[in-house]
Amino acid sequence: MQRMAYTFSFPEEVLEHVFSFIESQRDRNAISLVCKSWYEIERWCRRKVFVGNCYAVSPVMVIKRFPELRSIALKGKPHFADFNLVPEGWGGYVCPWIAAMACALPCLEEIRLKRMVITDESLELIAKSFKNFKVLVLTSCEGFTTDGLAAIAANCRNLKELDLQESEVDDLSGHWLSHFPDSYTSLVSLNISCLGNEVSLSALERLLGRCPNLRTLRLNRAVPLDRLPNLLRRCPQLVELGTGVYSTEMRPEVFSNLEAAFSECKQLKTLSGFWDVLPSYLPAVYPICSRLTSLNLSYAIIQSPDLIKLISQCPNLLRLWVLDYIEDAGLYNLAASCKDLRELRVFPSDPFGLEPNVALTEKGLVSVSEGCPRLQSVLYFCRQMSNAALHTIARNRPNMTRFRLCIIEPRTPDYLTLEPLDSGFGAIVEHCKDLQRLSLSGLLTDRVFEYIGTYGKKLEMLSVAFAGESDLGLHHVLSGCDNLRKLEIRDCPFGDKALLANAAKLETMRSLWMSSCSVSYGACKLLGQKMPRLNVEVIDERGPPDSRPDDCPVEKLYIYRTIAGPRLDMPGFVWTMEDDSSLRLE
Amino acid sequence: MMKPYIWLETSDGSIQQVEQEIAMYCPLICKEIIQKGMGSSKNCAICLPQRVSPATLSLILDYCRFHQVPGRSNKVLVPALPLSLMLERKSYDEKFVRMDTKRLCELTSAADSLQLKPLVDLTSRALARIIEGKSPEEIREIFHLPDDLTEEEKLEPLKNTTDDPRIRLLNRLYAKKRKELKERERLKSVEVEEEHIDKRSVDDLLSFINGNDEDPKGIKTSKNKKKNRRKKEQHQKNSCLKEASGVNKKEVNGQNIRHTNSEADIIAETSISHTEDVFAHKEFDDGDIDDGIDPALKEKIDREVEDFARRLNSDWPERMQELLSSGQERKTMLFSPNGNSFLRRNACMFFHCL
Repeated sequence: MQRMAYTFSFPEEVLEHVFSFIESQRDRNAISLVCKSWYEIERWCRRKVFVGNCYAVSPVMVIKRFPELRSIALKGKPHFADFNLVPEGWGGYVCPWIAAMACALPCLEEIRLKRMVITDESLELIAKSFKNFKVLVLTSCEGFTTDGLAAIAANCRNLKELDLQESEVDDLSGHWLSHFPDSYTSLVSLNISCLGNEVSLSALERLLGRCPNLRTLRLNRAVPLDRLPNLLRRCPQLVELGTGVYSTEMRPEVFSNLEAAFSECKQLKTLSGFWDVLPSYLPAVYPICSRLTSLNLSYAIIQSPDLIKLISQCPNLLRLWVLDYIEDAGLYNLAASCKDLRELRVFPSDPFGLEPNVALTEKGLVSVSEGCPRLQSVLYFCRQMSNAALHTIARNRPNMTRFRLCIIEPRTPDYLTLEPLDSGFGAIVEHCKDLQRLSLSGLLTDRVFEYIGTYGKKLEMLSVAFAGESDLGLHHVLSGCDNLRKLEIRDCPFGDKALLANAAKLETMRSLWMSSCSVSYGACKLLGQKMPRLNVEVIDERGPPDSRPDDCPVEKLYIYRTIAGPRLDMPGFVWTMEDDSSLRLE
Repeated sequence: MMKPYIWLETSDGSIQQVEQEIAMYCPLICKEIIQKGMGSSKNCAICLPQRVSPATLSLILDYCRFHQVPGRSNKVLVPALPLSLMLERKSYDEKFVRMDTKRLCELTSAADSLQLKPLVDLTSRALARIIEGKSPEEIREIFHLPDDLTEEEKLEPLKNTTDDPRIRLLNRLYAKKRKELKERERLKSVEVEEEHIDKRSVDDLLSFINGNDEDPKGIKTSKNKKKNRRKKEQHQKNSCLKEASGVNKKEVNGQNIRHTNSEADIIAETSISHTEDVFAHKEFDDGDIDDGIDPALKEKIDREVEDFARRLNSDWPERMQELLSSGQERKTMLFSPNGNSFLRRNACMFFHCL
């Protein structure tokens, strides 16, 4: 029986209008799967698309399907590239995307890239092809120089956002900034914190002065502290500031100038930068501390007492990124002062040292979990942990959604009982029912994976290193975690069996990374043959895997689902296992 | 003189009297009154659009009755309103849209036909909130929509033929590159053999080619070698071209792709490689993008995997067997030739969770 759709009388524009209020990718995707007519209407009014793996789909496919795109976000290299596990030249080239979009999407306004390689030529193409280009965000990208930035500055009249967060830029000269014409006034957000050279400060001052909508400014280290007040005075409406180097000769007039300039920034909520901090300059920010919601001190070498003084003045802090100099004492203070804290990241000041250099233990984290009821996201580097502490944290914070614990020395057991940390992490997944992201460390057996498979039903991303005993561990995760999207594994004794038995699972995930494990070349070939919608990439710098026996384990394995087939831009040390079992020899 | 009432006729033919001030809040009705002088009597009642039923009209009039009061109009910028009025308006609107989805859809449609934009916005937002967070099945259920996308479309809604010539050219280019890649692989494997076998000098080879040897196989072999060598040269050129337009700097012919002439550039790149490939490739077409597995090979793969699975089972401890048997269903799907049931179960998550 055919029932009449409630929306049968809607003209297309009305449905489009309804869809215009729906922005999240998941909801848009759901809409497109409802029925043929909704699919069609939705694709014509989709303005924004997020492609989590640039090799999962081809640029032409995306453009063909969404001809009215205004905004695209792409991710390239796997996350473990951040830890230098992905060899140079692996891929993630954005050029084909830029070329295709320059051709077919002249109205494109926003490009956001993460871990991709972009050249000056592509930047120039962007600058010249998109008349209304507004937003360029390059996070952890590489392959370009300041010449490319100059092209953007010179040509993008409507540019609002230029953000180079943590990218590797070949900084040829600071003059690129001067390419913004005098008539250009639309800047809202500028992040140049990754650049090495000094930019022309007078050009910067003039730029800031003529852009009344500027909200975010993140300077690079080369901007001297005594020039900061002048810059701030040009844009007192700033909401987010990243300072340059935070020290200079201690002079009272410099200090008071700085303090006054900060006081005038009544909207300032986020602070970062703080390279090479001279503690006596810290009080200059005290006047604005009460308004701060986000503080990034991950480059600031400040000892615990000074940190305590600073943080105790920030009762409205939602996010804190800090080095482990904060120590347990500082974290107790944080727990007492910042009751609204949502996110804490504690980075190691001396990760390669053999002995602890700071008094930071599991106790600091436990106290924050007790004192901050809204804490949801944690990244914590430390040297000792116990199951008891993890149990306490889990019970304190069932609202945790992201938990990344990095015990610096691999395979470190519970320091109190010398047992594996299985039960502690088990408690985390059991109590934190909405946990989306988890990173494991310490001594762990297959048992922890059994817990994760049993309880981690909402888990989307899991990072594992130096853990587990057998394929059973991997099998638990692949068969149990219903919402798993990204799995990255290094140095674990996982082999062929779990992978092959759960091959079908891999098509429901974005990607799987395994390095220094025991997956054989034969299994990779089999997987590639059996699963045409997966790209099974073997990354091996020892030479062609064919030159070794089939049962020899591969160095690195990257498996991702795709509807674009094997990629065409692989370097000599990457092999995609072909469906028809022919292999590329190079 | 303005009459306080006007006459409206709804889709079912019934005619009713409505306060003019309130009805005029609808732009369509306003136009009918002012531009066409309609509505002043029962005889010249304004015919409302088909989509406006009596029940829906009643709702719309309620809305107009509230909003036409001075100060409540959506046309007034929110910051200009005192807080109390703003809250009152918001509260009314929120309550107003609380109704079942069917009526909400009818209301949206009717408001649209009457050109009453504020109400269209209000109802559209309400519909959007209903849709948010739901799965496609749930949305279909709520709105009584047909499930008419094919499995293929759900999984790969992008495999339709393209109309845009530029995109067709780009597709061709991709297809060609993939074919080139396959060719190169095949030739390289031939070359490898060649290198192992052929230790003769160039003179010897030439004498073969020139017909000094009566062995037909020999002649054939030499011809093949000649062709392969030419192919090898061409592919070296191609790979040089590729390297020049290689991974780090994707330029066409070593020049920047200029946006003004991008289509021409793409055609240029196609034709240049084309001339190089004239001997190597006969033709290529769009239908070349085929990821299907040859059935005979499929069978072979399935047998191998089953064999592997048997070996797997014999190695694993008992506990593993238990786990496997509980996951038996999934395992069967893995080994079936096309795994449609797996695809159907997970189709909606596939492409869209990239």
